[in-house]
This record gives sequence, structure tokens and C-alpha cells, in this order.
Amino acid sequence: MSAQEERQEKPAKEPRGLLSSRRFIGALFVGILVYAYAWQSTEINLRKLVTGYPDIVHIVTQIVQPDVLSRDKEYQEVLTNFQLPCTDSPPERMAASESEPYLVLSHTCGVPGEPLSVEGFNLRPNTRGTVRWIPPAGTIRSLAHFDSDGEGHFVEGISIPSVDESEELHQIQAELRWEVGLPYASETARIVFDKMLETIMLALMATTLGVFAAVPLSFLAARNLMSVSRPTMIIYFVIRGIFNIVRSIEPLIWAVVFAVWVGIGPFAGVLALGMHSIAALGKLYSEQVESIDTGPIEAVTATGANVLQTIVYAVVPQIVPPYLAFTIYRWDINVRMSTIIGMVGGGGVGFLLIQWVNLLRYKQAGVAVWAITVVVWVMDFISAYVREKIV
Amino acid sequence: MLEVQNLTKIYDGGTVALRDLSFTVKDGEFLVIIGLSGSGKSTLLRCINRLIEPTEGRIIWDGVDITLLSGAELRHARRRIGMIFQQFNLVKRSSVLTNVLSGRLGYVNPWRSAVGRFPKEDVEQALICLDRVGILDQAHKRADELSGGQQQRVGIARALMQEPTLILADEPVASLDPATSHSILRYIEDLNRDEGVTVLCSLHFLSLARAYASRIIALKDGEMVFEGLPAEIDDARFKEIYGEEAIQVEIR
Repeated sequence: MSAQEERQEKPAKEPRGLLSSRRFIGALFVGILVYAYAWQSTEINLRKLVTGYPDIVHIVTQIVQPDVLSRDKEYQEVLTNFQLPCTDSPPERMAASESEPYLVLSHTCGVPGEPLSVEGFNLRPNTRGTVRWIPPAGTIRSLAHFDSDGEGHFVEGISIPSVDESEELHQIQAELRWEVGLPYASETARIVFDKMLETIMLALMATTLGVFAAVPLSFLAARNLMSVSRPTMIIYFVIRGIFNIVRSIEPLIWAVVFAVWVGIGPFAGVLALGMHSIAALGKLYSEQVESIDTGPIEAVTATGANVLQTIVYAVVPQIVPPYLAFTIYRWDINVRMSTIIGMVGGGGVGFLLIQWVNLLRYKQAGVAVWAITVVVWVMDFISAYVREKIV
Repeated sequence: MLEVQNLTKIYDGGTVALRDLSFTVKDGEFLVIIGLSGSGKSTLLRCINRLIEPTEGRIIWDGVDITLLSGAELRHARRRIGMIFQQFNLVKRSSVLTNVLSGRLGYVNPWRSAVGRFPKEDVEQALICLDRVGILDQAHKRADELSGGQQQRVGIARALMQEPTLILADEPVASLDPATSHSILRYIEDLNRDEGVTVLCSLHFLSLARAYASRIIALKDGEMVFEGLPAEIDDARFKEIYGEEAIQVEIR
């Protein structure tokens, strides 16, 4: 570059700096506009984040206490009579006993709204119980919870509920419930286990479908193999194009399509995830074929090996470990995807989860959520470990 | 005896890699081919075992014109020609032993070898070859776990498995440090001296060529610009081969 040219360029630099700062301000302005619009259109409401919090607490507490284990229950009940309203001959108090449980009421007749003290003796010690009102007709009411002390005694003040007056006697019940024996898997846990197994099998079948279709297709989608002639190049572009289109459609949408096609259930899920896996694996595999090292092929050919031997000794070792790694990774993704694919009719544990959520049975939903978390975590761990070993 | 007659290679793009090259290599020679990158050394070596198809000319080895062979005949010719590469060209994910055994593929039953089975004698022979290049203890490691020098020794062991009478070595030490370069070239020299294997070896460094060659040919732009004894290359010859601006670099 001559000195003259250099001199010409120098003054040109300053306005350029000014221009770029003007551009920066412009970009900043556009950025602010975009974010302001985005804030509005996504209805971001920070106040709601605080005020809405109590609504979710109840759901979250149930989800973190999933209905996984249950134990057999035993109970003990004591009944005593009560007259409402009082007559000339109110019922007698229960007889006190040395060992048999009995209840003592502060009075054995009265009218609704009156306070009443219930005292229990010789019950199971240190156990939670409920005081209930059992009218001769109509619904039973729970009035209070209590805990018996070390001697099996409790006192609980209640007020007489507004129940219909009757000639027949009402009853006051104290019932204690406690769990016995070893915990065992709850009904919910067993259903979730079954469906989780179905989910993993669904992912397995989808991955298998993906592998069987993607392996041959990957060779047709490898540029280095297909660039030998014009017709093969056309095949390459067509297959690449199909891969890209199929891959860009989310498995959830494929699941909706196949749920209509073959009916709601795991088969639809297999097809949906399989479809997506073919395209995703096909792309990854073909890139592996493209990045193959030709050196070993040359070396093995030079030893006098035939084509089959060259493939077995120079090509296969280069592509099989990465193929396996991609396949396991895909299975991992498919397990994750299959847990939610059930929500749109693809079968598996997701179907169960969405049902329980809709029925507001969050303790059960919690089991499904935890099962998904554990399985995804374990799959992730295994897949990372295996991939590390074979690549 | 290897006779190269009027060998020409023109690539599809029109690049002339070799132009009307003729020379003879007597049995038991250690012929070094020198020249700049792109002078046609690699192409020449690959034409001899037909990894690259020559455009014109004849390559006659032990009275057989290699350029006319095809199929099984070509594979039978190839199995007596060992080849050693600059980038070693090992199958990185396979074991050292498998890489060495692959040198035997031209001899064994293709179907048995396709499922990974080799005769017991071949496995024993592979271990002997590995012992010979001093890396028997690495036999069961993956090839890419080895250092560059060790990988090239695997490359030599693979060529040994072919029981070659001719070895083509394409820049065998260009990826290695000077000390390792010498140890690798000494293995090739031993083969040449003790077993009478003919060696065609391309090298970058003239100092290495002088140390090992029994005869040198020099290529420039696909044509032979020198043929003679190592001692005959003086400064004037050197500039002729490598260009006016080149400076000799010694590798000791």
C-alpha cells in the first residue's frame, strides 16, 4: 500500500466510529422496543407470581408426598349415647372400667351449639383419633382430632353440631387409627411401575425403529459417498431434505397425527418417536460417515484385502462406536420424550400423569412425576457412562 | 526388480502429478525419493501398488505388469508390497493387535476374517512382529492410545505381516520428532539389510536421505530431476531440487 493511500484512509476512520456508535444507539432503541412489546404480549405479571403462590403450595406439598408406600391400618372405636334435646330420662353415662375403653361426656343431653367435653379412657396410647357425631339419620360429622396420651386418655372440647332433633339417641364416636406391619408399594406405585415399564419399552421400540431405518438411509445422506455422480447427488439432497423436515416437526405433533391414525396408545407413541428418531439419527449417522478417516481404508486396501475385508476392518470400526453412542443418546432422549408423549395420546406414564392432574389427584400425580424424574436421571447417567466407554 | 516405465499421472482436475517417469529399482535397494511437497512423491508410491490409477506407463515388478492386473491378481500382488504412511493410517479405535493382523488380510480366508477370526499362526506371528518393533506390551491397547512413534511401529509391524519383498514408505517420519525418526528408519533399514526387502521411501529431509539411502531420486513438479548416489547431491544439486531459496536443515 502506498503512502498516499494510507493518508486517504485515516480521516475516513473517524466518521466510521461515529457511525457505529449511532448504529449502536439505534440497535439499543430497537432492542428496547422489542422487549417492551414482548413483555406485554407474554403478559408478564410479577405481582401474580407472589399473590398466586398460595394456590400452588397445596399442590406442591402433595406432589412432594407421593402416594408410593402404604401400610395396613387398624382401628379402635368407642361409642356413647347422647340425647338431643334433653328429656326426663337422659341416657346413662358409660360405665367406668379397669381395662375396657370408655368415653365420658360432660353431660349426656343438650341442644345444638352447647359446648360438650368428651373424655376417653383406656384407649390405645399415643395414637391419633377422630371424634365423630353419628345422628340416627343423616350424615356422620367429624368434629375434632385428638391424640391419646401415654395412658390412652384424652379430653376434647366440642360444640354440639346443628343436627335434627329426634327421639332416637345420637351417638358420639371416638375412633383411633394406626398403621401396622411393613410398608408396601401402594396401588398407585404399582400402576406407575407398569406404565413406566411401558414407557421405557416404548422408547426402546421407537429407537429400534429409528436405527433400522436410519442406518441404511445414513449412507444415502452422506455427501462424501453420494457426490460421485449427479443422480446420487439428487438422492442425497432429497434424503437430507426429508430428514430436515421430519426432524423439525416435534414428536408431540407426530403423536397427535399417529394417535388419529392408529388410535390412542403406546403404538402411536412408538411411531411418533420412531419417526423423529429416524430423521435425527439419520442426520447424526450420515455426518459420522462423512467424517470418516480414509487413511485406514487406504492402508487396509494396500495389504491386498478385498472390499468386504476393507469395510469390516477399516470402515466399521470407525462408525460403529459413534453409531452406538448416538443410539444410546437417542434412547435416552426417547425415554424423556415418551413420558410426555402420553399426554397427547401416545401411551405410557404421561397418559397416567395427565389423567391424575386433571382429576386433581396430586398425590398420585406426584408418584408419576417422581418416577419420571428417577428414570430420566438413571437413563441420563447410564447413557453418559456407556458413551464415555465406547467412543 | 521394479521397473517404472514412462509413468504419467494426470488427476481429474488436469493437475499433472507425474510426467513420463522412468527408473529401475534393483532388488535389495534402499531407494529414497526426495522432493518438495506436491512434487509427486506420494502419487508415485501409490501408483506402484495401484492405490492410485496411473494415467499412462507401465510398472513391471518381478516380470509382471502391475498396471494390467485386476481383482484377485491385483490383491495378490499387493499383499507382497508393504506400505507405511506418514499419518500411520491405523484404525484408531481397534486394538494394536487387530491393526497388525490386518496386514494378513490378503492371505487369510475372507469370510473367516470378516468375523474377526485369524489362524493361530497369524496371531502368533503378529505378536512376534510387535516384539520385533519393541511394543509387544502394547498389543491389547487401542491404537490411538499409543504415541506417534509407537503408532508408526505398529504400521511397520502391519507391513511385516505381509511378508513383503517390497516396502513403500510414504514420508514415514514426517510426523515424528528427530530422535523417533531415526529409530523408525533404522527398523526399515534393518529389514532392507537383513532380509533383503527392497525399500522405496520418500523423505523430506536430505540429511535423513543421505543417512539411509543406497540411491536417491529427486522429483520436482512430477519430473525426475536427479538420480544417483547420496554423495552426489551437492549445493548446486540441492538448489536445483528444492529451489533457490531453500536452506539445508540437518536432522541428526
